Amino acid sequence: MRETMTANGAAVTGAAARAAVTVSNMTKRFPAPGGGDKFVVLENISLAVEEGEFATIVGPSGCGKSTLLNVIAGIETCDAGSVAVAPREGRKDAPRIGYVFQSPRLLNWLTVEGNIHFVLEAQNVPRPLWQERVSRHLEMVGLAGQQRNYPLNLSGGMQQRVAIARALAIEPDILLMDEPFSHLDAITARKMRFDLMEILARARPTILFVTHDLAEAVFLSDHIYLMTTKPARIFKRVKIDVARPRKPEDAAVFDLEKALVREFFSVIEAGA
Amino acid sequence: MNGRARGFLLRASSIVLMIALWWVAALLMHDNEVLPGPAAIAHTIASDFVTPGPQGHLAYFHIGITLARIFATFVTSMLLGIGIGLTMGLSRTVERSLLVFIPLLLTLPSILMVFVAIMWFGFDEIGGLVAVLVIVAPYVAVNIHEGAKAMDPSLAEMAMTFKARKTLLIGKVYLPQLTPYIFSAFRYGFGQTWKIVALAETFGLKFGIGYMFSFWFEQFDMSQVLAWIIMFVVLMLILEHGVFARLESRAFAWRAPIAQ
Amino acid sequence: MRAQHMKAMVPGAITIALGLVLWQAISLFFLPIFFPGPIDLVRTMVEIYGDPSSWPIVGATLVRIAEGFAASMFVGCIMGLVMGLKRNLEIFFDSWIMVLLTFPAICWAFLSVLWFGLSGVAPVLTIFLIVVPFVVMNIWQGTKAVEKNLLEMGRAYKADRSLMLRKVLIPQLMPYIFSAFRIALSLSWKIALVGEAFGVGSGVGQQLIYWFQDTRVDMMLAWGMSFMIVMTLIDLLVFRLWERHSFAWRRQLAV
Repeated sequence: MRETMTANGAAVTGAAARAAVTVSNMTKRFPAPGGGDKFVVLENISLAVEEGEFATIVGPSGCGKSTLLNVIAGIETCDAGSVAVAPREGRKDAPRIGYVFQSPRLLNWLTVEGNIHFVLEAQNVPRPLWQERVSRHLEMVGLAGQQRNYPLNLSGGMQQRVAIARALAIEPDILLMDEPFSHLDAITARKMRFDLMEILARARPTILFVTHDLAEAVFLSDHIYLMTTKPARIFKRVKIDVARPRKPEDAAVFDLEKALVREFFSVIEAGA
Repeated sequence: MNGRARGFLLRASSIVLMIALWWVAALLMHDNEVLPGPAAIAHTIASDFVTPGPQGHLAYFHIGITLARIFATFVTSMLLGIGIGLTMGLSRTVERSLLVFIPLLLTLPSILMVFVAIMWFGFDEIGGLVAVLVIVAPYVAVNIHEGAKAMDPSLAEMAMTFKARKTLLIGKVYLPQLTPYIFSAFRYGFGQTWKIVALAETFGLKFGIGYMFSFWFEQFDMSQVLAWIIMFVVLMLILEHGVFARLESRAFAWRAPIAQ
Repeated sequence: MRAQHMKAMVPGAITIALGLVLWQAISLFFLPIFFPGPIDLVRTMVEIYGDPSSWPIVGATLVRIAEGFAASMFVGCIMGLVMGLKRNLEIFFDSWIMVLLTFPAICWAFLSVLWFGLSGVAPVLTIFLIVVPFVVMNIWQGTKAVEKNLLEMGRAYKADRSLMLRKVLIPQLMPYIFSAFRIALSLSWKIALVGEAFGVGSGVGQQLIYWFQDTRVDMMLAWGMSFMIVMTLIDLLVFRLWERHSFAWRRQLAV
């Protein structure tokens, strides 16, 4: 179990590792609801995720993790600093970013395949490729044959799987996941985590995962960034050196999680 | 610039733009006398208040008559509508009997009802009253009926165990629960009423703003027609948005404040 | 279940029957041209619609309604969308909408005739000016109800404006477009009658004022109520079909 610590969470990467997502001293402010001064949501955030890595940002709810993902995805802009997202090795065009949200955010008036077609069209994937992409990725998430079904006829877990299939169907360079399993019951969530690991074993996009659940983070990630509350700062970067495939009951996983929990609370209590 | 100032500026500039467009259009059509400009109309309106018009009356007279008609017919329709709606809400038999007629009455075009009422009840106030009643009361009744169905029956039961008189029951238990419905019926009903009164005055009734529309229209006096239209619309705008907005906030003082 | 349903309709049916009987009885005390009974009325309506020369009259009115309705739906939807999406334009135009909503149909009818003479344009313009604010209000309200989450999702996947409009915005606006459609249609035909009552030379509204001036209540009622029936049938036909067709994706709730 090794840890790589740095002062403000800036990455110390090994030689020749390619950064897929680089955030440098990024600050984000929101206007206050009453119309007064803006308040700082994210302060001086820096991180670097290597290509093919599974990085997780862990922090309490409402500390700005979703905002960070939104800025990386390009949905929101930042007020200071920079965000750079690079495509996979060998490609020169704009990086393809897939995003899985906390809720499935499906278009309920379109069929399952219609929803996937939507993002394929948005990403300018040529039409002849669509059918194959849809069936391959639905099969990957365990929903083979559900193309013609409507989202409201599916359970919450199945809807979220469609959302994952949708994100993977564009064959993304970067996959952003914002607490994707937090709205599911514990059993479904646990199954989805295992399935996610299997799916990702086949096609390894770079993944930036966000959660408030340390156990989930330790189970899934290569690196964890620990984050505090408003203004959000990253105060630690931890490397998870446990071999895959991992089990949540693994002693190594469990111990690491306990250590991180302790660390987290000490920081929170010191800050509060 | 903060939100409120910006909003005010935008609204003010849009009204200014409206008047400016009117002025430009009037200039362009000047030789046809088809569209008098804002200045000419303002002048006409002013003169209507000091110079006696046809039949020797000033503008106040006609405006007063129209307002009186609107007030009288509206109050009657509201009372009738509330009465019917409440009865429908409290008695299933009444509800089922009357419910069939409501869609019919709501689909009838107002102009037909105005014509028929005038023909049957004369070119005077009764005709106008009937026209308004037939169109507005059913709408009010439907609204109140909805409200009556949504009332909390346990409150009425409570009042009855204390042997409350009918008037007390209606006044203090039923009506307060119905206020939101009464209010929404009020606003829409008022809008309908003055439009029907305008129709009735145009086609049949003597004196009043609608009568002036018709009179000056037949004289092809565009200036006067526009003047009276503007007077009417401004008056209604003031009534609908000025007076009623204030009444609304007072009527709902007893409700729990909604979190901002 | 069925029997219960039937039983509930009995008081209504009784009232209708009683009403008809009462109506017929009262009408016996009056001249049919002044107070027609139901039988006379139906006979007159059949005569009117049986006469081929009536059809162009009804046709003229239907055309004007279609024109005014189409124009107001088109402009209204666009304006409502624009006002819903751009806050500045919303604030700017809402005073115009307020004024338009307050303007009575009769006033526009006068003005249109004064500007465009006794032609078919006047009623169409009147319909447009009265109906547009209602459509705008409906669509504008619809845009407020659009789910921001889905817009964000679309933007995250870099969907362009046309795709967002087609697949994300408009499907969410459909119920509001539908209700705007119904309100617009039901208003349009009533306003058409007012607009035509100024003697534009043809149309059902013109028939109404003609018979009004001739003090023929029977003809007035016959023309008016038969047209009301025609428009109600159109409304039922168009909207029941549309409603059934387009809302199939909603979850089927077991009843």
